[in-house]
Amino acid sequence: MQLRYVFTELRTGLRRNLSMHLAVILTLFVSLSLAGIGILVQREATVARDSLGDELKILVNLCTDDDPSHSPNCASGEVTADQQQRIEKEIADSDEVASSAFQSKQEGYDRAYEQAQRNNTQAAFEGPDPVVTVERWPAAYWVTLKTPERADGIISALEGLDGVSVIKDQRKALGQIFGIMTVLKYGSWIGAGFLLFAALLQVTNTIRLAALARRREIAIMRLVGASTLYIALPFLLEALVAAVVGVALAAGVLAAFQYWGVEKALSDHVQFLPWVDWGDYTQALIGLFPPGIVILGPALTLIPTLLLTRKYVKV
Amino acid sequence: MIRFEKVTKRYPGPGRPALDQVTLDIDKGEFVYLVGTSGSGKSTALRLVLRELRPTTGRVHVAGKEINRMAGWKVPRLRRQIGTVFQDFRLLPNKTVTENVAFAQQVIGKSRREIGKVVPETLELVGLKDKGDRMPDELSGGEQQRVAIARAFVNRPMILIADEPTGNLDPATSAGIMNLLGDINQTGTTVVMATHDHGIVDQFTKRVIELDHGKVVRDEASGSYGFQH
Repeated sequence: MQLRYVFTELRTGLRRNLSMHLAVILTLFVSLSLAGIGILVQREATVARDSLGDELKILVNLCTDDDPSHSPNCASGEVTADQQQRIEKEIADSDEVASSAFQSKQEGYDRAYEQAQRNNTQAAFEGPDPVVTVERWPAAYWVTLKTPERADGIISALEGLDGVSVIKDQRKALGQIFGIMTVLKYGSWIGAGFLLFAALLQVTNTIRLAALARRREIAIMRLVGASTLYIALPFLLEALVAAVVGVALAAGVLAAFQYWGVEKALSDHVQFLPWVDWGDYTQALIGLFPPGIVILGPALTLIPTLLLTRKYVKV
Repeated sequence: MIRFEKVTKRYPGPGRPALDQVTLDIDKGEFVYLVGTSGSGKSTALRLVLRELRPTTGRVHVAGKEINRMAGWKVPRLRRQIGTVFQDFRLLPNKTVTENVAFAQQVIGKSRREIGKVVPETLELVGLKDKGDRMPDELSGGEQQRVAIARAFVNRPMILIADEPTGNLDPATSAGIMNLLGDINQTGTTVVMATHDHGIVDQFTKRVIELDHGKVVRDEASGSYGFQH
């Protein structure tokens, strides 16, 4: 295959339809940036849920030896097996509870350490005599409620039980945060959806125009026996160039958002939440579910191009 | 080389078929005129050979292959064995003569070396050796048609299809084009030429197949145009 011709045609095509290509690139860039931000917000919600539990959950910390809460429930020191059994039964018998899960000291410690690493505050976990150790970390129950509104019964039942150190009920605060995240996520996805649809229409118009401009060449190529792929290749490459530029610009905007928005601003000001990191950024770029912008951009340009060129350059 | 077996081609909509139970056989190396009035089915027959159309019923064989059932991806390979020339030349106006001819080789993946060798040879064959750098609009009609013939012949096809190649040319220029097509035929290429030009058919006597309302009404080994139009 003579690629020289293909690249000459690609150059000519890009020059000939410059304004259309710029429109496609700009629309792709904005829509992919929004889609990427939507993915990052979704990741943020997952990270926050993993770390803090969602608005349906309350955390019941069990007493440790020398418990920092100084609760009278912890007068006997570390929670005993009997106390734990009683707590478990109370949770199981409550009609407000959907399910519960036990988190051992080690699991709780690992989770907290991971979160501290994300926020660069792991100093308390490290060193020869760390403040935070597995022994000092409380075992706990994650209690999932049937509805976030009803938890008074189970909370008051557990509050007075020996072995229960602290009940962390962050339903209101977390509910608001997750609510904002949900709005942001769906808002950016809906915005991205409309713009991606606009990009799709622009791609189809661009191909139509390009096919019209090349109709003589295409007719001759068909007659002399050029393969469909060879005829379609300049169209596909034009679409790919638009996609690559759009994706690169969107990736830049997302990187800027991650660096200045998340790392330099949000994580400094809102420290109780763990924040998305560069691993999440990579997921927003190349993740499969939901598809990252590196997949989304080329798919949105190449698939319609393939379908349309089949129509216009059919041998 | 080309065989139609009871070929009928019906376009969507009411009316008679464009081709109606046409059976014909054109051997390798033949020169055949396809004559008939407008709407007689000449162009449909040529488009069937090129596999631009498929017959409604019947079979079309080209170069030993039944092409009406040929898979789409095999069609380009078939077309590489067929050169096509049109009344309106269909040259690319932004390319030189050489580039126009080379285009037919480039797009089927021929090497630059081969193109560099074959294109000048073909331009010499059609009498345009010294005009390779000209743009199409700098040439006369006859010269433009020679470029179109060079482009059709540059891949040395087994069949050359010419649809009214002299339709836009004066008699003297047309005679030159006919001589050129005759030379190409002498190399063993089968030439099928649809034409209205009775002067040409009568002067350069060859086999004549006449179509009328989609039917073959005459097939003479060495015929004349047969009717005045």
